[in-house]
Amino acid sequence: MELEEMKTLWSEMSQEIEKQQRLTDKLIIDMTQERYTSKFSKIQMYESIGALVCFSIAFFIIANLGKLDTWYLMTFGGIAVAFLILMPILVLRSINRIKRLNIATNSYKETIIGFTRAKKELLSTQRFGIYLSFVIVLVIMPVTSKILNNKDFFIMDHGVRLWILVPILFLFLFFFSRWGYGCYKSITNSAENILNELED
Amino acid sequence: MHRKKEFIDIIKQHEGIIYKVSKVYANDKEDQKDLYQEIVYQLWKSVDSFKGKAKISTWIYRIALNTSITFLNQQKRKSRQVAVDFELLDGIDDQDSIMEERIQTLYTHIKGLNIIEKGLILLFLEGKSYDEIALVTGFTNTNVGTRLGRIKQKLKDQIKK
Repeated sequence: MELEEMKTLWSEMSQEIEKQQRLTDKLIIDMTQERYTSKFSKIQMYESIGALVCFSIAFFIIANLGKLDTWYLMTFGGIAVAFLILMPILVLRSINRIKRLNIATNSYKETIIGFTRAKKELLSTQRFGIYLSFVIVLVIMPVTSKILNNKDFFIMDHGVRLWILVPILFLFLFFFSRWGYGCYKSITNSAENILNELED
Repeated sequence: MHRKKEFIDIIKQHEGIIYKVSKVYANDKEDQKDLYQEIVYQLWKSVDSFKGKAKISTWIYRIALNTSITFLNQQKRKSRQVAVDFELLDGIDDQDSIMEERIQTLYTHIKGLNIIEKGLILLFLEGKSYDEIALVTGFTNTNVGTRLGRIKQKLKDQIKK
């Protein structure tokens, strides 16, 4: 098939499509309304669940700050609270940036650039969160140990349980992060290629 | 809903454009329906911002192409199907199977292109001038020409295979 043939064929197909218009007024309105509703509930769900869990834990720690009676437990508690509040805000902000892209006024090129950059930012934020979660696990263990059991993690007798639980936890985090990183990397690479192409 | 009548008329008059853009960007019928709905939704959302400075078709191409980029990149569609169902056109007259086959081949070649190239070739096949393509895409006229040259070569190579 030659290019000119493609163009002719496309034009013939377009003429046929024009003859077959099937959308009714009701269908157009229903379709739009459904999409609007589904989008609204989806945004509501995504934005609330993750943030709610993190904020609840942060609130729990803040409410029990009085139990953290040493300078290092207070520091660990502060770091955990900061992470649990800031991380969801950063992710939500990145998601919001993608959503806010003005496709009505932006050109095709601007949308690709805007979307790709916003996506890269979102992926970097999520990747940053995954790596930081390794540190946060270590930070949050002494905090929860003190709040829930009133025991100082650094001077208590841990027994065998800790030596089994911690490696399992880290193993899980390692594989989860590796999987997550793999996904993010491939998406980011393709985003990078598109940007490079635009700079040609 | 704002400017409801005007919106409905716009969609009805240009449903062919929405159909073709969805078909070029989506891989299967379900995705195509979903993208079609998303484009209609985005047009509804943006109808107030249309000032009438550009041609209405230019505005629709721009929104349809931009929606396709963002939508297909960020969604896992299976989880977000909406309730409204409708029949998308199956293509041209069912009796003309040779033409149908040729159209399928045409779409297969277009789908082999990347996200930027798909938009440009679609506008080229729609018979748009370089000026109009530049207006929709934001590339300069020269850049449109260069890119289309490359795409045509790529398509030729693809067709030869």
